[in-house]
This record gives sequence, structure tokens and C-alpha cells, in this order.
Amino acid sequence: MNERWGTSRQLGRRDFMRYAGVMGLGASGLLAACQQAEQTPPAGSGSATPTHPPIEEEAGDLRIYEWLGYGDGSYGDDVLWREYKKAGYPKPKFIKTFEDDAGFTKVAAGERYDIVHPCAYRFEDWVNLQDAGGSPVMQPWDTSLVSNFARLNPALQGFGNFDGEQYFLVADWGFAAPMYRSDKIQPEDTWGVLFDERYRGRISWWDSLNMLITAAYLNGVPDPWAMSDAELEAQRDFLISKVPLVKTFWVDDPTPDLVNGDVDVAYAWQNHWWAAVGYGVPADGVPAVYMDPREGRTSWYCGFALFADTENYHHAHEYVDSWLSVPSAEWLVNNYAYGHTNTELDLSTVNQDLVQAFSLDDPSVLQEPKSHPERAIERRDVYNELWLEVKAAA
Amino acid sequence: MAETAPDVEGATRDSSPARSWPGTLGLLAAPVLWLAVFFLIPLLVVAGYSVGILSLFPTDAGANLDDWSRFLRGDSVYMALFWKSIRMSLTVSLIVVILAYPLGYFLALVAGKRKYVLLLLIIVPFLTSYLLRVLAWRVILGSEGVINSFLYSAGLREPGDPIAWLIYSQFTVILVLVYVWVPFVALPIFVTLENLDSSMLEAGNDLGANRWRVFWRVTFPLSLPGVAAAFVFVFIPTIGEFVTPSLVGGTKGTMFGNAIQSLFTAGLDWQIGSVLALFLVAVVGILMLISGRFLRLRNLETG
Repeated sequence: MNERWGTSRQLGRRDFMRYAGVMGLGASGLLAACQQAEQTPPAGSGSATPTHPPIEEEAGDLRIYEWLGYGDGSYGDDVLWREYKKAGYPKPKFIKTFEDDAGFTKVAAGERYDIVHPCAYRFEDWVNLQDAGGSPVMQPWDTSLVSNFARLNPALQGFGNFDGEQYFLVADWGFAAPMYRSDKIQPEDTWGVLFDERYRGRISWWDSLNMLITAAYLNGVPDPWAMSDAELEAQRDFLISKVPLVKTFWVDDPTPDLVNGDVDVAYAWQNHWWAAVGYGVPADGVPAVYMDPREGRTSWYCGFALFADTENYHHAHEYVDSWLSVPSAEWLVNNYAYGHTNTELDLSTVNQDLVQAFSLDDPSVLQEPKSHPERAIERRDVYNELWLEVKAAA
Repeated sequence: MAETAPDVEGATRDSSPARSWPGTLGLLAAPVLWLAVFFLIPLLVVAGYSVGILSLFPTDAGANLDDWSRFLRGDSVYMALFWKSIRMSLTVSLIVVILAYPLGYFLALVAGKRKYVLLLLIIVPFLTSYLLRVLAWRVILGSEGVINSFLYSAGLREPGDPIAWLIYSQFTVILVLVYVWVPFVALPIFVTLENLDSSMLEAGNDLGANRWRVFWRVTFPLSLPGVAAAFVFVFIPTIGEFVTPSLVGGTKGTMFGNAIQSLFTAGLDWQIGSVLALFLVAVVGILMLISGRFLRLRNLETG
């Protein structure tokens, strides 16, 4: 099988994405071959700046492709854009997504919105996405229209900048790390807890190729996001050897299994931990620790991107500006325990357990070596295949 | 529908026993069209993906049989998973039939006038959502669920040391699938037993056989077509099962259907996914043919 992954798949994700944008998904190889000849270079380089009509002339019927609970009001989260609401703009329409890959393929296949909120490991794919005519699907933001821009963490905004253009206004960030029931086990601070014989049958892994990356941290692979075939297969074999210890692969949330006592340790995001400990109210939760493993946590960040053909250019800027404001930051941090890029958030308004657990007072916490920022995986499909093999071998 | 109506009339006016062809075709048109559009064409599309004629990524290798040969040679992890699923659904089908038989027997031959009320009662749980019924088992079987909590409080087990295999295991998947299928499967058995010619049983009694002997020599053999139908009725859908394993199976209860689902969603490898899906369709198709033949033969013998 090695040859197979090594050759035919090596073209990688980015090439695919360019073609996928042209073709729509599921198109036949023949058509693809015809169209490849007409490829134009990826977006971002010198596209003419179109003029946009003033905000009064826009319809304002924003369509936002967004994570559940990130503005649609499912959890009172419509306050995330309260400034926008206050200004009297019409309520946007939220199209909910649950998964990065599925969300991306939908747009690659031709769906269009005004705003989308992808996460970092797919940033490049979005920037490179082209429609059937070869023109870019996304366009950069005009940061001069975003009043909060100067208050945002510059390092994070740097991650959203491609070829000098701000394609992503990074809004939220967070970690991935092991979380454990401190009343049941007292492990050392290492990712190894997820692969430890002592916790056989009490472990939950995320159902994701990120488990290969976790294994890579532990096994000292230099670049977990760009592993060679040999490195990848070593991680796969390592995971297959450890999978008998694992009770569940979680898809949405490991918290119920941790709280119910079915597992004692899980791969987790920090909102899972915050839910497990009862949102800071001990009586509502269980004793749990969000680990800072010696190999480093993984960190992630997501940002808003703007569709090139939006007819609500100014509304889109206003909407995202309100999301990036201090009041929104305060709500996001206190309710979801995620980080927010607005550096002027007064940390005294935030639960101190959160400030401490996630070093919210340290702007460098999202950089190496304090944590490993999630990166694009060029050969994501290969990672996925190997992860599926791990699952099938369980 | 409007187009077929005159043909139907024509068919009924025709006094000869042979059916008129236009009438039959008219009647068949809708179902055939339905099957073609929603079954045959999708199946062909899946077949196209499985050999690379169609592909999700234009960068993929083009037409090839690599995934077929890798899978059929057993070089991939998926063949082992297939056999595991076969074992699991065989176990489920056997247990279900063994449990459903007495149920069908009781309803058909013992319950008398109350049988339809009882039948209705058996079906009542199905008014609840499937997900809820499966998730309820987590409350019963969980590490701090009903059974383990009872064991703790009765002092039969140390708190914090639950019976681990109760939840997220092959056992759990088999248990829940049995629970789900028993009422369904009691039905074909019930129908077969209900249609038994009672004079046969009486003849057995008259000839001096006791009830046990009548059951083994008359009732049971005559009910075998129903048992076989019941077996197939459970076996076929459970081989492709993926919802139950994903809810209560944990890592060890994963089945073939889960692999197909993963390949089509997060895995984004539709070629292997299609190979596995088609293979499953083929296996199920062959099983249907065999069981259909078997059932018809049994009917000839008994009829």
C-alpha cells in the first residue's frame, strides 16, 4: 500500500483544491484534464480591487456559514454580534456547519455565502480556492473598515495574512490537550497518558487524524504536520498497538463519558474541560484537570473569511467587526472558554480559573514552544487513510 | 399514474387468464422507474467510484482495480472487519431467533383472543425514537449506570471498579441489536405458526404423540420457513449496521458499516468506501438469492 499512498496521492490537497474549485466535486478525470490546461495562478496576487457600493445600497441579507453556537443563537450566542444588531442591521442568516472538511467540500462544490469561519489548518486551501472561471472564491478584508483591528493580537492576525493580504480575521483560538479525572488518576503531565497501560479501558481518543500528530509528539517526530511515509506508518503502528487500551473514540464531545465515569482521561479541547468542571461551579461538575503536557499542547485558531462575490461587502465588515469587539470577547471567553484575539479584554471580567488554566494573560502562549499551532497538512488524505486503518484495527 | 389507469382497466376487462402486456408494463412502470432512479443508477455510480472511473479528487489515479484487489486479497484491515461484522450479526441473528420463537409461538398458539393486543404491546416501544432506545442502554450499562451502581451498593463490587465490558464493547452492540430486533422477528414466526393447519397437530395428538413430540415432529418443521425468513430478516440489515455500534460500541464494537461511513465522510476516500459498500451489497444479494430459493423449496415441500 505504501507505493499507492506514495505516488498517486502525493499531489496533495492543495492541487486538489484548485481543481475541485474548478470542477465541482465528483467530476470525472476526463473533464478535469480538459480544464487543467486553463488553470490560472492562485488568488492573492494582484487581483484588481473592485469598487463596492456604499453600505446604504447593499441589501444587508448576510449569509454566514458558521459553526453551531457561533452566532445563530442556539446558546444565547447571538450576543457575539450585538454591536451589529445595535446598529440596526438586519439579522444575518446562519447556515450551520459542524465539520471543517465537510464545510470546505461544500464550498468547493459550488455553494456560496458572504462569510465563512474556517480554522487555520485549512486557511491556505480557502485562499487557493477558485471557481469554474478560475477566479478566486475568497477575497481579502479591508482592515481599515474594521475598527477593532488594531486591538487584535498581531501574531494571530499574522497567521491570517497571505501575500500581504488579510484573508482571515482571526477571532477565536484554543488548545487541544489531555483532560483527566483528578479524583481517579494522577498521571504525569504528558500526552503519554492517552497511551498508558495503567489506564487500560479508561481512555477516550478523538476520532480524528490528529491522533497521529499526538503520537508524533510523543515519539519525537520533528514535523508532525508533514510526516514522511515511514514516520506516518510508524505512528499508525504505534496507535494500532495502543488502541486496545482505548474505550471510545469521541466525535462530538468526550465530556459525557468523562463525567459519567466511563473514561478517566480523554483528548480534549478546553471547552470540554470547562463543561466537565461545571463551568467553574464544582457542584455542577467533576474534579478534572486540563493538562499542560511536557511535549506541549496543540493550539488552534479560526478566523472569518470573505467571499469574493459578496454583495454585502460593508455589512460583512461591520458584522465581523462586532464579533471582534471587547464585549464579544468577554462573552466568548466566559461561556465557551475559548480564547479571543482582542487583546484589550479586561481579564478581571473573566473567571480566574480560565485565565490560569489557559494562560490568557500571556499573548505568546499560542507560539512555539509553548504550544504547537495547528498547521496545514499537505497530505491530509494520507493521514486520514492511516487513521481509518487504526480505527478499523481496533 | 393517470397514464396507467386505462391499461389497468384493459387488463381487468380482459377475461382471459393471461395478463395483457401493456397492462402489466403500465403497472410496473412506476416501481421499475423508482428502482432504476434510486437504486440501480446510484449503484452504478458507486461501482464507477470503486474502480476509479469516477473520482472525488481529480488528482486520483484514474481507472484502476487496486482497491478491489487489495481488499479481496485481504491486504487491508477491512476484510478482517468484515468477518468480525459477519460473526457479530450471525450471533445477533441466532440469539434473536431463539428469543423470538417462543414469543411468536405464545402469540400464535397460546395467547388466544388476546394475541393482537399483545402483539400491539410488543410494538409499542417502537413509538419511541430509535436513538433514544439505544441511548437508554448507556444509562443502564454505563460505568456508573443502573447495573454497576446496584453492584456497588450491594457490595458485590468495589465502587470505581465497574464491569468494563457492559458498555462500549461487542457485547453491548450485540445486546442492543438483539433488543431492537426481537419484536420485528417475532412477526414472521408468528405468521407462520398462525397459518399452521391445526388438524395436523390434532392428528399428531390422536396418533398418541405427547405435546413435546408433536412440537418437534410437526410444529417446528412446519415453522422452519418462518424461522429462516426471520433469520435473514435480522442478518441482512445488521451486517451493514453502523448507528448502534457508533453509539454503544466504543472502539471494540466497530463494524463494517462504520468503516464505510468513515471512508465516505471524514476519510474522503470514496474509492475504498465504494469497494466496501458494493461488496456488502453483493454479499447481501447472494444471501437473499440463497434464502429465497430455500424458502420457496420449503414452501413447496410443506405446501
